[in-house]
Amino acid sequence: MATEPIMRVENLSVVLDSAAGSRPILSDVSFDVAPRSVLGIIGESGSGKTVLSNALINWIHKPLRLTGGRVLYQGRDLLALPEQAMANLRGREIAYIGANPTIALDPTLPVGHQIVEKLKEVEPGISEANARKRVIDTLDAVRIPSAVRRFDEYPFQFSGGMMQRAMIVDALVSNPKLLIADNITQPLDVTVAAQIIRLLRDLQSAFETSIVFISSSLGVVTDTADDVIVINAGRIVERQPAARLTAAPEHAYTRELIAKVPRLWAEAETPEPSPANDIVLEVRDVERTYVVRDRTRLFGENRVRAVRGVSFDVRRGESFGLIGESGCGKSTLSRLLSSIEQPDKGSIKVEGRDIAGLKGTPLLAMRRRFQLLLQDPYNAIPAHASIGRTIEEPLRIHGLARGAALKQRVRDVMTEVGLSPDLYDNLPVGLSAGQRQRINIARALILEPSLMILDETLSALDQVEQARLLALFETLQKRHGITYLYISHDLAMVRRVCARIGVMYLGRIVELADNHTIFENPAHPYTRTLLSSVLTVEPKPFLPETYLMEGEPPDPIHIPAGCTFRTRCPFASARCATEDPHLLATAEGNGAACHLEPGHLPPSSLLPAPAGRAAACLET
Amino acid sequence: MTDIALSARPRSRSVAHRILAGAWATTEMKVAFFIFAALAVLTVVAPFVIDASATKITVADRFLPPIFMEGGRYPYLLGTDQLGRDLLLRSLIGLRNAFAIGIVSVVVMFVIGCAIGIYSGYRGGWVDVVLMRITDVQMSIPVVILAITILGMSRPNAFTVIAVLVLASWPAYARVARSVTLAERQKEYVRAAKILGASDLRIMALHIAPSILPSIAFVAVLDIARMMIFEAIFGFIGIGIQPPTPTFGTIISAGTQYLLNAWWITIVPGFLLALALTSLNLMGGVLERSRNLVLQGQL
Amino acid sequence: MAFAIEFFVRRLSQGLLIVLLVAFVIFTLLRIAPGDPIRIILGPMATATAMEETARELGLRDPIPVQFGRFIVQVASGDFGHSFIRGKQGGASGGSQDGAPDLSQRAPVMDLILTALPYTLILASLGLIFAFLIAIPIGLAAGLNAGRWQQKLGLYISSFFVSLPNIWVGVVLIYLLSAKSGLLPAIGYRGIAYAIIPAIVVAIEMSPVLIRAIAVSIAANVQEGYFNVGQVRGIPRNKMIYRHVVRNAAVPLLNVFSAQMIGMLLGGLFVVEYIFSFPGIGLLTINAVFQRDFPIIQAVAILASAVLVLINILVDFASTTIDRRLKF
Repeated sequence: MATEPIMRVENLSVVLDSAAGSRPILSDVSFDVAPRSVLGIIGESGSGKTVLSNALINWIHKPLRLTGGRVLYQGRDLLALPEQAMANLRGREIAYIGANPTIALDPTLPVGHQIVEKLKEVEPGISEANARKRVIDTLDAVRIPSAVRRFDEYPFQFSGGMMQRAMIVDALVSNPKLLIADNITQPLDVTVAAQIIRLLRDLQSAFETSIVFISSSLGVVTDTADDVIVINAGRIVERQPAARLTAAPEHAYTRELIAKVPRLWAEAETPEPSPANDIVLEVRDVERTYVVRDRTRLFGENRVRAVRGVSFDVRRGESFGLIGESGCGKSTLSRLLSSIEQPDKGSIKVEGRDIAGLKGTPLLAMRRRFQLLLQDPYNAIPAHASIGRTIEEPLRIHGLARGAALKQRVRDVMTEVGLSPDLYDNLPVGLSAGQRQRINIARALILEPSLMILDETLSALDQVEQARLLALFETLQKRHGITYLYISHDLAMVRRVCARIGVMYLGRIVELADNHTIFENPAHPYTRTLLSSVLTVEPKPFLPETYLMEGEPPDPIHIPAGCTFRTRCPFASARCATEDPHLLATAEGNGAACHLEPGHLPPSSLLPAPAGRAAACLET
Repeated sequence: MTDIALSARPRSRSVAHRILAGAWATTEMKVAFFIFAALAVLTVVAPFVIDASATKITVADRFLPPIFMEGGRYPYLLGTDQLGRDLLLRSLIGLRNAFAIGIVSVVVMFVIGCAIGIYSGYRGGWVDVVLMRITDVQMSIPVVILAITILGMSRPNAFTVIAVLVLASWPAYARVARSVTLAERQKEYVRAAKILGASDLRIMALHIAPSILPSIAFVAVLDIARMMIFEAIFGFIGIGIQPPTPTFGTIISAGTQYLLNAWWITIVPGFLLALALTSLNLMGGVLERSRNLVLQGQL
Repeated sequence: MAFAIEFFVRRLSQGLLIVLLVAFVIFTLLRIAPGDPIRIILGPMATATAMEETARELGLRDPIPVQFGRFIVQVASGDFGHSFIRGKQGGASGGSQDGAPDLSQRAPVMDLILTALPYTLILASLGLIFAFLIAIPIGLAAGLNAGRWQQKLGLYISSFFVSLPNIWVGVVLIYLLSAKSGLLPAIGYRGIAYAIIPAIVVAIEMSPVLIRAIAVSIAANVQEGYFNVGQVRGIPRNKMIYRHVVRNAAVPLLNVFSAQMIGMLLGGLFVVEYIFSFPGIGLLTINAVFQRDFPIIQAVAILASAVLVLINILVDFASTTIDRRLKF
């Protein structure tokens, strides 16, 4: 590049010191950041990319240690600067945004005030009124709705996405020359992440800031950056312009990385259509409302309508998926389905028997029929009990076996889920997430349930482990005829395993259809918005330009009248504001809660999939 | 006990084990432990070794100073009191009694408080409201007021002293156990146990209690010392265990009358008590710090 | 605003109920405790009939709930009754006199308490000031330097102070600072100098709790994400500490203050006043216990719990104002 780079990194090396000696985290990393450009850095977790982002602002602390190299910014080596001089650059000329916006600000002070505090710190002369005006203007610029009101609100009143916008404001308000964005979309829902990325691109040209954009998602990086650096185990393996990286990767590791990105459309693996069996789980008009106190009104209370009339059926032996973003009511529904909470209204029938309102012994007997697997493999198993003891617990609770027979059954089920029976007397300390999740599975499986609810069960696992467990689930399905209900936000996984899928929005199922309809020709605009926000390395049938609107779902206290999606729907009409659409199923069992006639939505930007591909099987 | 640190493989041991090992690795813990152990051994062995009496009045030997001072003599290593009784022996017996009262009362308040706290936190709802209001009421009466009211009005003995201490302090345990249970109840393993069909009692006794009690137990070590101080205060005011049984409170209280001429009667036993309590508190403090480190994953 | 009104309406009504319950517990406890107050009022020579008569006159033979109801009605108008023992001019009467006692000659409990209260307040505030002077620097240093010598120092000092029985510290200080060297006066009260040694004893008792609370809450906040992020955002470390860490640490500190320290302070004052013959509420109460002077005991217990409850409410209000996430 002809122009002088804004930042040049030369032979940067960092090690991690521990009792066992020091381990290299970054080795010999060198690159340039061109002015007014976005440099993407992609690496898997553990590749050293967060350490790299911290090193760029000389923020390396024990037990990490710099062992060599230079970070040149405007000719000065940041790593050699005295701490005071470096502190004067941080947040001023070089801004940094981290992956976790929810912990970034003091929780006890309003967001706007804290940004003003920072602004006054980096620009000592600025007056209170000016600072306030500039912060509110910037809040407007990142499209935070009603910025003046939000200025005085507290961090806990911001959603993750709104908070990340606020952090972008905080970074840009001092007009930095360089912005380091470390995995900033990682904790966000897909539609919100897509909005943030679009926003960052817009702002980059408006503010003329250079950005180092670090992420573990290839789709995110190639969508955002001009140039991309691939980093593996602390070393740079490749640097290419973003478009060429996916088209013509040079390094084997890059090719591997690209191959690992799940495909939703091109060469997508999809499951067999559902068998036309009897119904295992029948959910009808289930509702759940929570009452919370309102501190702005005297003795005021708010009603949070978490689940608002959900109905669906799951057939024996199928895999059914429920997808939706955070706040859509998935977790509440999962609690209702596992009978930890009771619905206010409606029925939940497992094998024909209503479990809503069931208590005591009858409920205990029913619990053998349906089991729920939870997301967090670390907290779901008690830390103080041995593995065998944990797995045998359900047999003891239900009085199903004792003595040698009990031990034998535990050993059998451990073998079946791929755990060595030798682990029987070990504590779970030190086991990997995947192994812990297997304990979890074994504990549920030992009751021989006919229905397993998988509530984000695999989302804490890496892709390799995820694939292994999906294969295990499939084997178990074939062997025992188990029915699965997947509750997830992971579209790629649902695409792979679920024959029928329900899409949830604000406490309701807005679309219910088979796998191909949902992914290739969905009838609800929200489903299309979701699909358009997925960041992949393949061409998408639905583009964010058409479907992605600003804003986030309304909170479940103030649910808009009429269609609940109309506030974010690009196709909303006058009718939508007054009339709440109902989900009407066609003969095939597909349907969407939308007033639009089928065929009135824009066509897919890909060619319609050939009918024959529906038969493609899931490989094992 | 000595080779815990050597044999510990932190990753494969239980949390309690790692806390102990981490604490034992520090010098403070070892020093405090040896001081405490030495005092404990002394309280048992001293009556057989020291050729003096803790209770027999020997008028001729009154007001003898400690042996290292002018006028002190064998066998009164730390001098005698106003009735010619051996101060060291009296202090050691006082220490033994105080420690027994401290440990018994803490165990009882721990059991009662934690049981109520876990139940209250787990059940929630009106049960929780009622139980917590009861602790509010109980905690709204300062310990000393409650103690002097009850003990001052009755005939105090070891049993009533323990009863008062338990009555005054169980709510603190109930509060702590409840707040930890509230957090614990949200954890997924509790939800997992419910889904498996475990009864509430089973979840409280087999899941929640084993995960929360060890950490509360470490803090309870500090309370043993606090109870021993209360016992001394009661004795001092005259509402503790009554003479002739030696207690710190009564020794110190009696000694104040002779402070100018025979300071050792008050200073010496108080010093022994302070030494014992410091070592106990230091052990508690180190254990707690070690526990925090373990919970933060640094040990 | 709506929040503040609702908070106080809710909490004050709850608090009133708690104080009523405390009053009932104390009232009942005193009625069933051994030791007949009539014997104390009339002295050992009184006849059985005279005792019975006085008891009936004083309403002591009515059922306890009736007595309690009568008592509460009185208390509501600010009248805690008259001492059984103490005369209006101070000094004990009763016992030695013959014939029917004239209760109107006995001092109203409220007067006795109001006379003693200023002394206790002086001692309490001086003790708290000393305690903060000791605890703030040590606690801050320990909290900001977790894992270093400052933290260990905090641990040693608080372990040591918490191990010192206040009765012993009191006697040792009297011996060293007063009896031996004559630096300060110690027994009774004839001027503010008399409060210094007792206040030191109170401070030594309180400071370990404070040191630990400050150290723990500061250390916890220094580990919070916002502390690091704030410095990366461009706010200097010292400003992050005094603007944000201290503010956030105040919430758990306030909690420790209301849940532990006020109770400790009240208890500590009682003992210290007794050791130093300091003429405050504590001495009044301990003497009342030994004399079976029930009206004083119950008044002090009820007022003490009312103070505790009130401080709890104020502290909770302060906490919810600082941290808006807290529920109430």
